[in-house]
Amino acid sequence: MLELANVSYAYGDAAAVREVTLRVDQRQLVALAGPNGSGKSTLLKLVARVFAAQSGEVSLDGKTIAQWPAKEYARQVGYLPQDPDPAFPMRAIDVVVSGRAPYSTRFAWETDEDWREAERALALCDAAHLADRYFDEMSGGERKRVFLARVLAGTPRLILLDEPLAALDVSHMQQFSALLREIVDRTGASVLFASHDLNWAAAYSDRMLIMDRGTLALDATPAEVMRPEVMRTYFGFDVEAVTAGGRSWVVPKI
Amino acid sequence: MRYSTRLPRASLVRPLLLLTLILAITIGMAVSFGATPLSWRALMDGDETARAILLRIRLPRVLLASAIGATLAVAGVTFQTLLRNPLADPFILGVSGGAACGAAISTALGFSRIPGLVPVVAFLGALGATAAVFLLARRRDHTDPARLLISGLVLNALFSALILISFAMSKQSDLTAALRWMMGTLFGASWTSVALVTSLLVVAFVVLVFIANDLRLLAFGEDDARSRGVNVERVKLIGFVGASIVTGAAVAVSGIIGFVGLLVPHLIRMIWRRDFRFLLPLCALGGAALLVGADVVSRVIVRDVELPVGAFTAILGVPFFLSLLRRGR
Repeated sequence: MLELANVSYAYGDAAAVREVTLRVDQRQLVALAGPNGSGKSTLLKLVARVFAAQSGEVSLDGKTIAQWPAKEYARQVGYLPQDPDPAFPMRAIDVVVSGRAPYSTRFAWETDEDWREAERALALCDAAHLADRYFDEMSGGERKRVFLARVLAGTPRLILLDEPLAALDVSHMQQFSALLREIVDRTGASVLFASHDLNWAAAYSDRMLIMDRGTLALDATPAEVMRPEVMRTYFGFDVEAVTAGGRSWVVPKI
Repeated sequence: MRYSTRLPRASLVRPLLLLTLILAITIGMAVSFGATPLSWRALMDGDETARAILLRIRLPRVLLASAIGATLAVAGVTFQTLLRNPLADPFILGVSGGAACGAAISTALGFSRIPGLVPVVAFLGALGATAAVFLLARRRDHTDPARLLISGLVLNALFSALILISFAMSKQSDLTAALRWMMGTLFGASWTSVALVTSLLVVAFVVLVFIANDLRLLAFGEDDARSRGVNVERVKLIGFVGASIVTGAAVAVSGIIGFVGLLVPHLIRMIWRRDFRFLLPLCALGGAALLVGADVVSRVIVRDVELPVGAFTAILGVPFFLSLLRRGR
């Protein structure tokens, strides 16, 4: 489905992503981890068509990004930026329905189907009750859920999420991670999400990508990543690995 | 299906009708009120004086006020959406000031004796100011709102200085017109100016309708819009250039009428908190109604004196600007 071949991107002289090659197939929940500034967000933006790779190719279903019509690509790939904000006061439902834009033509208003999809997505994110609320009156976690619903409303086959768990309370983190799992299993979509919470990322992903100074340092299963030597090497901190519920977790040594 | 009965298209009808009605009422008042009361009965009876007042003075002025009000409000809401900042306005960003500066310099150079040249230079001044303010406010790949407002402030200070220097160097005989123009006035409206501003407004409006959906998405941020297939750079270019051109034309014709571009979108958003596709037509109607109304008040509030409508709108606008600033948005 998604393929990156030797993809690089730099902000001026500062290289953010270097020669990344990877492949994400259908029905995969992939976590993207790494320290601050390791290139996670930039990598997501390269796939989301926010930036164009300066060298290398990003392709979806065998076609490079440049070969995809922009709108058609936007229907396949949904992207949730780190700090989404509608800039002006808007109702949650209006925020969510704008996620249907790639299905609409230039002069068309939303169709019944668009509103149905928006409502469905809000309900999936446990935010149906927020539909009529104004965005500027919501908490950080509520906003995050509304924006996640906006991504889901576009029914993308590849979902890119930049720090989706930040600002969520523990119960919504769990609910949300389970929802991603369910979407992947049920619809065959794939999710690529950046997260700083390694334990959550490991618990809910099929595969973990560790970024280190712009390169893809490790592409492995959660069990392989959640080990003291990996944490030491890529994150520079000492952990103890514990096993509970059949999974490995890391606990910082204090 | 709670929402399917409230499609935006359907819910736009009522606000449009309401604002059209308000505009019609203000136009009716504006045509009737003035230094010489206009008798509708005399007009019906075929009175030549009444006819002349209506066709040569009142009607062009009222129509010019509506076209300029609509233009400034449409430019305001476009700048605000493009910059994702409710404080943006052609006046605050220095676009109006650039036009005024162009007009003042061309007056000093004696261009005012060549018909049509001053508005052209004013127009170029508006475009130059837009370019300058955006280059100054640009930081890497985005336009920083705070820097933008500060750039507008600094440019406005520069323009004021250049305007004063131009005035000092202008011939006494050219000064009265220049001063009236600086104050923002609809005095001396002609059918030519009505046609000029209206035709540019219509073109700009059509262009903005074309990119309205993209602008709606741009309000969520440039990265987000790009990921949704919007050609962000193209939309920004079209939006900025379009809004600056119409602002330039409006300022070239009527001088600096400040804060309409800030006030109207703000009022409209207070009542209907919706996206750009709604705001665009509503701001056009609201802007027209506001300026026609402000013009009536500025003509009748002090007996036998016509107050500058630009000063009047600024007095109305300042409290709104401050309230927006206080709310930090």
